[in-house]
Amino acid sequence: MTSKRFSVTLFFLALLPVSSAATSFAQQPQRTGKGLIALYEFLEPNGNTIVDTSGLGSALNLQIENVGNTARQNGSLKIHKATTIKTNGPATKIVEALRHSGEITVEAWVQSAKIDQDGPARMVTISSNTSNRNFTLGQDVDKIDARLRSSQTSNNGIPSTASKSKTFDTKLHHLLYTRSSDGKTRLYIDGKVSSEGKAGGHFQKWDAAYRLAFANELSNDRPWLGTLHLVAFFNRDLTASEVERHFKAGPNAPSPPAELIEGRVPPSLLTADMKATSGQLFDRHIANILAKNCLECHNSKTKKGRLDLSRKVSAFAGSSGQVIFPGDPDSSLLWESVDSDDMPQKRPPLSPSEKRFLRQWIRTGAVYTQDSIARLAVDQSQINSTWVQRLTVTEYIATVHSAVDVDISLEARRDLPRDLRADGFSNTAYNLSVDLGHIEAYAKLARTIVAKMDVPKFVARYSKSKSIADEHLREVVASMGKRIFRGPLEKREIEPFLKVAHAVAKEGGDYHDTVSFIIEGMLQSPRFIYRIENQQANGQLNNYELANRMSYILWGAPPDTELTRAADNNELSDPKNVVVQIDRMLNDPRAIDRSTQFISEWLDLDRLQYLRPNKKQFPDWNFTLASDMRDETVLFFQDVVWKQRRPLSELLNSQFTYVTPELAKHYKLNASLPDQGLQRCDTSNIPGRGGLLTHGSLLTVGGDEASMVTRGLFVLHDLLRGKVSDPPPCVDTTPVPTKPGLTQRGIALERIANNSCGGCHSRFEPLAFGLEKFDGLGTYYDKDHHGNELRDDGNVVIPGRAEPIPYKNSAELMNILAGSDRVRECMTWKVIQFALGRPLTKTDEPELAKIHQTAMKNGGTYQILITTIVLSDLVQKSRSDEALPK
Amino acid sequence: MTRRTLNRRTVLKGIGSVTIGLPLLEEMFVRSAKAADQPSVPTRAFNVFFGLGIPSPLQTEGFNGVLEPLKPLSDKLLIMQNVDQVRCDEKGINAHFDGASGAFTAEPPDGEARSGGPSIDQVIRRAHYPEGLPVGMVPTLIGGTFFRRSRISRYVHSYNKDGTVAATMQESPRQVFDRVFGSFDLPKTAEDVKQQRLRRSVLDSVVDQYKFYTGQNSPLGAVSKARVIEHLERVREYEQRAFLLATSEKAPKHPPKSALLHGGEADPGGEGIDITLEELRTEWRLMADLYALAIQLDRVRFGSLTFLAAGERIRLTGEYKYDGRKVFDFNDSKQHNKSGSGGCSHEWWHKFNESKKNEELRAHAHMKMQEIAYFLKRLDEKDAMDLNGKSILENSLITISTESGDGRHSNVKRELSGIFHAISGANGRFKTGQIMDVGAEGVDVYNTMLTAMDASERLGPTNRDSRSIDKIRV
Repeated sequence: MTSKRFSVTLFFLALLPVSSAATSFAQQPQRTGKGLIALYEFLEPNGNTIVDTSGLGSALNLQIENVGNTARQNGSLKIHKATTIKTNGPATKIVEALRHSGEITVEAWVQSAKIDQDGPARMVTISSNTSNRNFTLGQDVDKIDARLRSSQTSNNGIPSTASKSKTFDTKLHHLLYTRSSDGKTRLYIDGKVSSEGKAGGHFQKWDAAYRLAFANELSNDRPWLGTLHLVAFFNRDLTASEVERHFKAGPNAPSPPAELIEGRVPPSLLTADMKATSGQLFDRHIANILAKNCLECHNSKTKKGRLDLSRKVSAFAGSSGQVIFPGDPDSSLLWESVDSDDMPQKRPPLSPSEKRFLRQWIRTGAVYTQDSIARLAVDQSQINSTWVQRLTVTEYIATVHSAVDVDISLEARRDLPRDLRADGFSNTAYNLSVDLGHIEAYAKLARTIVAKMDVPKFVARYSKSKSIADEHLREVVASMGKRIFRGPLEKREIEPFLKVAHAVAKEGGDYHDTVSFIIEGMLQSPRFIYRIENQQANGQLNNYELANRMSYILWGAPPDTELTRAADNNELSDPKNVVVQIDRMLNDPRAIDRSTQFISEWLDLDRLQYLRPNKKQFPDWNFTLASDMRDETVLFFQDVVWKQRRPLSELLNSQFTYVTPELAKHYKLNASLPDQGLQRCDTSNIPGRGGLLTHGSLLTVGGDEASMVTRGLFVLHDLLRGKVSDPPPCVDTTPVPTKPGLTQRGIALERIANNSCGGCHSRFEPLAFGLEKFDGLGTYYDKDHHGNELRDDGNVVIPGRAEPIPYKNSAELMNILAGSDRVRECMTWKVIQFALGRPLTKTDEPELAKIHQTAMKNGGTYQILITTIVLSDLVQKSRSDEALPK
Repeated sequence: MTRRTLNRRTVLKGIGSVTIGLPLLEEMFVRSAKAADQPSVPTRAFNVFFGLGIPSPLQTEGFNGVLEPLKPLSDKLLIMQNVDQVRCDEKGINAHFDGASGAFTAEPPDGEARSGGPSIDQVIRRAHYPEGLPVGMVPTLIGGTFFRRSRISRYVHSYNKDGTVAATMQESPRQVFDRVFGSFDLPKTAEDVKQQRLRRSVLDSVVDQYKFYTGQNSPLGAVSKARVIEHLERVREYEQRAFLLATSEKAPKHPPKSALLHGGEADPGGEGIDITLEELRTEWRLMADLYALAIQLDRVRFGSLTFLAAGERIRLTGEYKYDGRKVFDFNDSKQHNKSGSGGCSHEWWHKFNESKKNEELRAHAHMKMQEIAYFLKRLDEKDAMDLNGKSILENSLITISTESGDGRHSNVKRELSGIFHAISGANGRFKTGQIMDVGAEGVDVYNTMLTAMDASERLGPTNRDSRSIDKIRV
C-alpha cells in the first residue's frame, strides 16, 4: 500500500501528508445506512423543496406549500405557522420497500414549538386523512404517539404505540420507532426504549396511493409546529445499540449507508445492485463533482500528474499506479486526497455530501458510465426548477396576430418592457418576470388591439346570434376563448367573463361592447400571457399542451387551425402524426423566422447595432456596415439551413457569403459584385473567408484590438462548450499592446509559454490563431499596422481529445471545427436550449445525447434536429419540480 | 451643477428648476396623516451598490483617503473592513460577475440573471411583510445609473428567494418616477367614467383567473405559482393606481428625458462609452433624489440602488472637485493613452499596485463615495425625519457594498477578500460611528444583520458552521 501510495502521488502535484482515509467517519458515533430508504437532512439553503438525500432509488422529495410559514437554519426546518409539506405523488419507494421487508424504522430529530399540540399533531405521516394511514408519528401534548397500519391494526393504525405522559417536551428530542417482522413495536426517545407494543400481521394492507407528509395531516387539519432536524426511514428494525449510536451521533451527523463505511468490498463481491447504485451515483453526482472540482487540472490536455479524470480509459490510473480501487475507497488515492482536503488544490474542499457521494461511489464499484465527461466542464446550471413561460415580446406579437388578426408589433415593442438575455437567450423562462410596466402595457395593448379589431366580424366566426344571455355568451366565450387561449376552456374559466358581460349590461352596453370587453379581459388572462401547462400531471402532456410546445418551438407562435384540429382529434398522441405536422410546419415561413431568431440570439447579433469602434483607428466605419454584417450572417444562415438544407455544422465552412459592395470593400474582398445591396458571393478562392467565424458579425467580438483571448473564448464557450478557470494568482491581466516585432499571436504565445497561464490559454487562444489576419472589424490583412507579418496557422485542442490538431490556415481550422462532433453537439445543445426556453441541466444529459445521436444519424440538419427535439422526452413529457434532483 | 435638489418640501411646494411633482398629492397627504397615527417607524432595507470597489489597502486609510466623502455621515455609519466574500467565487466566471452577485446575497451566481440566493433586503421584506406591503406601495424598487449590462447581475441587487430578480431595473430617473409615482389618465367625461368602471370589471375577471393559478387547485408547480403570485400582486398594484388612488389635477410633468445612453447603446460591444463627470452626476443625482423621495414619502421600503455596474466601462472626463478643492482632472482615455475598453477607468483597477500612488483609481473611488454620500444625505435631511425624531438613514438598514476588494483579477482570494461594506444603524440595532475590522465572511455578517433585523431566514448553505458577528450589534 505504501509503495502504491508513493507512486501515485506523482499524479497529484504537491500532495501533502495523507490522513487516514477513515478519519472522517471514525471520530464520532456513526449513523448506519444499512436498510436506509429515505433520508431528509434539511440541508437545502432555501426553496420550497425538501430533498431526499439518501441517494437511493428515486429521490422522494417533498414540497412546502407555504414557504413563508417555515424557516430554514443550519440543517433544520422550522415550521412556525401551519402549512402542508408533502410529496407530489405517492410514497412509493417507502411503501414498496416496507411491504417487502415487513420491518420498519422511522427516525426523527424534532423540537416541538409548544406542548399543547394534539390530535396527535402530525410530525411525520404517510396517510390520506385523519382516519386513514400507513404510518404516523405525532405529538399528543406531552406524549409521542406512533400509529402503524398492518393486517392486525385498523386503517387508522390503532392500537398505536404511545409513550407515557411527560416523556416529551419542547426540547430537542430523538424519536425512533421500530417494528420487527414478528410485529413487536418499540418507541425510543433519546436513545432509550420509552414504550413497546404490538402491530402484528403484515404490511400488504398498506395503501400505495398515500403520500408522505411532514408537520401536518394530508387533509391539512392536524398541524404540528416545531423544528425538524432529520427524518429517516429504514426497511428494517434498528437494533438497540444502533438506536443508541444514532442518538449519540446527534441530529447533524452525516448518514452514509452502512456498506460505505464498513471495510472494503473485494471486487468479486461487488454485486450487480451495488454496481447499479454506483452507476446511478456517477450519473447523478460524481461526473459533476469531478467536472467541477478536478478537470481543471486533470483533463486530457493538462493531465497534471499525468492523470486524466475526464475519460473512462484514463481516470483510474496513470502510468505509475492506480488512483481508484473499485470497492476500496481507503486504498484509493483519489478518496484520500479529497477526504484530507489536499485536493482540489487552492480551491474550496468538497462539501461533506460531495465527499459522501464520492466514497459511496468508489465503495459500490466506481462505475464510470460514460466514455468521457469532458463536456461537463461547462457551466452546468443548477437551475432545476420549472418556471412557467411567459410569452416573450416577439411571441406576444405573433400570438396576438394569430388569435385576433391584429398587427400589434409597433405598440408592443414600444410599450412592453424588453426581455433581457439570460444564459444566452431572451426566452429563458426564469428571467421572464413581470413588473408593473408589463401589467400596464398588457392592459393598454388589450384596449388597442380591440380597437383595431373588427369585433363584429371576428365574433361572427363563433356565433351569428347577438344575444347577451348567459347561455349564449357561455358558448361564445368557450369557442372564442379556445382560439385566444390556444386550447379549450374549463367551465370555471368561462364564469369570470360572464361577470364582465353583466357589468357591461349594467352600463347599458350592447352585444358588441360585451364581446369587446370580454376579449380585452382574455388578452390579459394568464391563459393568454403565459404558456400554462399542467405541471402536476406526472410527466404527461395533453394534445393541446403538446401542440403549443410544437408551435412555439417551431414558429414562436400559437398553433394554427390545422394543428389545433389535430389536437382536437387527439392525433398528436401518435408520433407519426406529430412528424406529419412538423413537416408541414417546417414549410411555413414562420419556421424560418424562428430559426433566424435563434441564430440572432445565439450569436448576439443585436450587439452589432451598438458597435462604436474607435474613430481614429477605424475612420471608415459606419452603422450601415454593422447592419450589413448582421444581414450577411442571417442570409448566410438561411441559405445553408433553408435553401440548401445542409447540416448545421456546415455553417462553419461553407464557401460563400452575402455582402454588399460596401461590406466587400470593407472586408477587402476581391470579388465581383454586379448589383447593389446584399448578394451571394463565392468565397472559394478568397483567402481566409468562408464560414460564420469569418463574418464581421463574429470577428467583432474581439473588440477594436481583435483580442485573441476574447475570440478564442468565444469559440471555446460557444462552439466547443469548453470552460476555463479564473487566472491563477499573481498574474497581471492587463492587455499587452502589439508593437513592431510583436503581434497578437506573439503576445498569446508568451502567455501560453508562461507556466501560470499556459495551461488554460493553450486551450483557447490557438482557436483564434486562424483568425489573426482579421482586424477588430473583420477586415483582412497580411500585415498589422506595425508592419508585422500575420499568420493563420495553428493547433486546435478539442475538449475531451488528448492531442491538438494542427491546421495550416483558417480554412483548415474551419474544416476541423465543422468536422468535430464536439462542435456539432454544442450546436445541438444551443438549439435545444432555445427550444426549451431554459438552461440545460445535468438531468437532461441522457436525453441530449440521444437527440444528438439521432439527429446526426439522420443528416444533422436544422429540420432533422428540430424534429428530433420535438419527438424527444424533453418536449413530449412535462417536467415537475419534484422529479428534478437538486 | 445648477440643478436644485429634489426633496419632499420642494416637491410639495411645486417649485424647483426641474419640475417634478406628484400626481398623487392628496393620497400622500392622507398617507402622512396615517403615518402620524403609527407608533413605530417602518422597517426598511436598501442595498446600495457601486461598481469596481475599493481595494482593501485603501480602505485602511479611513476618512483620510477615498472614504473622505463619507466622513460627514460617519456618525451614522458602521464601516466594515475585512469582509470576505471568497465563497462567492464561481470558477470560470468573470470575477466582476461573481463579486456583484455576492454583494448582499453572499452567494455565487446561479445563471447569468440569477443569484444563488435572496438578497438581504428581500429577506427582511418577507420577514416583516409576509402578506405584502401596505396598499399603494412599491414592493421593491430597483434603480440605478449604469452602462455595462452584459449580465443582469452586474447591476441588479435585489433578489427573490429563488434567486430571480426581485423587480425590473428602472435605469433612468423617468422610469423611477413612473414606477413610483405614475398614475394613469384621469377620466374627464361621463363616458370616461363609465369606461373606467367597465375596465375595472375586466380587471376583476383577470384577477379571478390569476387567483386560480395561485390556489390549492393550481396545476402549476411551486416556482411557477410563485411567478403567477408576483403577477397577481402587480395586477393589484395596477388596480390601485388605475382605479382606487386619489389623483390630482395638478399632476406635474415627468422628469426630463435622460440625456445618457441606455439599453444596448450604453454598452457598445463591451468597449465602454465616453462620458463627462457632469453628465454622469446630473443623471445620478436626479435618480438619487427620486429614489430618496420615494422613501421619504413612504412609497418604497425595500430595494436597491446601483451607481455604476460591476466591471463598469466608462471613459470619464471632467474636473473633479470636492469640498471646494480640485481633486483630479478625469481623462481616462488620454491618461491610459488608449481608446476602447483599454481606455476605460476600469483599467485603473487592473493596474492597482499597493506600492504606487494609484492616483487615478483613488480619484474615481473618491468620486463614487461622494455620489453615494449624496444619496445617503438625502435620507438624512430635514425632510427625511421619522416620527421617532431620527432620520430615515438612522432608522433604516442601508447596506453599501461593491464587487471587489482588489481589481487585478489575479487572485480570487485577494479579489473577493476585504470587500467594502458600510451599514447604517437600523434604528439602534447596529453600532455606528466606527470603522471596524470585522474579519468575517460576508455570509456571517449578513446573517448577523438579519438576526438583528428580526428575520429568521438565513443566507448561504445550511451545512456550514455559522458565526455570529456580534461586535457589529449594539
